[in-house]
Amino acid sequence: MEPGSGLPQRRAGGGGLDLGAGSAAGSPALSGGQSRRRKQPPRPADFKLQVIIIGSRGVGKTSLMERFTDDTFCEACKSTVGVDFKIKTVELRGKKIRLQIWDTAGQERFNSITSAYYRSAKGIILVYDITKKETFDDLPKWMKMIDKYASEDAELLLVGNKLDCEVDREISRQQGEKFAQQITGMRFCEASAKDNFNVDEIFLKLVDDILKKMPLDVIRNELSNSILSLQPEPEIPPELPPPRPHVRCC
Amino acid sequence: MAAPCAEMEPAAPPASAPAAPAAAPGSAGLVCAQGRNLRAVLCQRCGSRVLLPGAATFARRELLLPAMRKKAAAAAAGGGGDVLREHWLVRDMFSFENVGFTRDVGNVKFLVCADCEAGPIGWHCLDDKDSFYVALERVAHE
Repeated sequence: MEPGSGLPQRRAGGGGLDLGAGSAAGSPALSGGQSRRRKQPPRPADFKLQVIIIGSRGVGKTSLMERFTDDTFCEACKSTVGVDFKIKTVELRGKKIRLQIWDTAGQERFNSITSAYYRSAKGIILVYDITKKETFDDLPKWMKMIDKYASEDAELLLVGNKLDCEVDREISRQQGEKFAQQITGMRFCEASAKDNFNVDEIFLKLVDDILKKMPLDVIRNELSNSILSLQPEPEIPPELPPPRPHVRCC
Repeated sequence: MAAPCAEMEPAAPPASAPAAPAAAPGSAGLVCAQGRNLRAVLCQRCGSRVLLPGAATFARRELLLPAMRKKAAAAAAGGGGDVLREHWLVRDMFSFENVGFTRDVGNVKFLVCADCEAGPIGWHCLDDKDSFYVALERVAHE
């Protein structure tokens, strides 16, 4: 993926055979297809990263998190309870990375997404809908939240979603690119969660950017079973003093 | 990979029948000598990998999980859930390969497939942050 950045065979943890997996701890590795069976506990993840998905209502944040849906299953679960976050495992550059992905759907009012989500995020995916100008116009407001609450080294990715609705496009690709260019380190892409176009790539791209920045070993074991600490805090209005200078936002 | 285990599809004995204590049919051949899962745990529906072999230990506990299929019949029967007794117990949330957590239902989060959101496949109580249960009956084994 990155030039010279380590094909999977590199000795991440001791001479893997198949895609980046083999480690001394003896993991059957890789979420892909393999069927070796070991009795030892599997190799723990090399990295644990928290990623949040933000953006205005209806831009498709939740769709980015799920690959497909089928309404015969657990309607109750889906519509009334909803998924709070997901653990997903990806392998990249010989490393096994566990993502904890938070979807903030349902809390789109800018102020209601609490700082807890932002604070520990290593990656932030900011989504707008290419067919709805107002969701694009909202982006500066979201950037203010990011500037205020997110860690300065969080990777930012701007996603123009609903590429499958090209005929209704209101925001050109160039506009999206231009917005992202104004912000230090922000990447940009367009995607269609409906067609699953670019969706996996979004996460891989983000993770890759995060890993490139990270001195190895730093983030290992940083997160624990931290559901509680990541629960939305009770409606704290975002009036805390900005913990960081406005380095990014226009 | 996406092949579901047909035999895992429960012919759903009514949840009222107590599980036979010793001859646990659900767990036969799935547990290693150390009590861990011999095989990878997959989503029954889409094959998404939930746990790698050895990532969990076998545990018995009576847990009520809402039904996976919203069958009109099931709803009419008023139940809408199953009491499940055999589970894979995971101690660290990050031991999962892929899994989704629902929003809170009381002090419980249900576990669902991370890819297709089939579920609930498991149970987690916020009062015990180091215990995550995945019901054997609700998943496939590779």
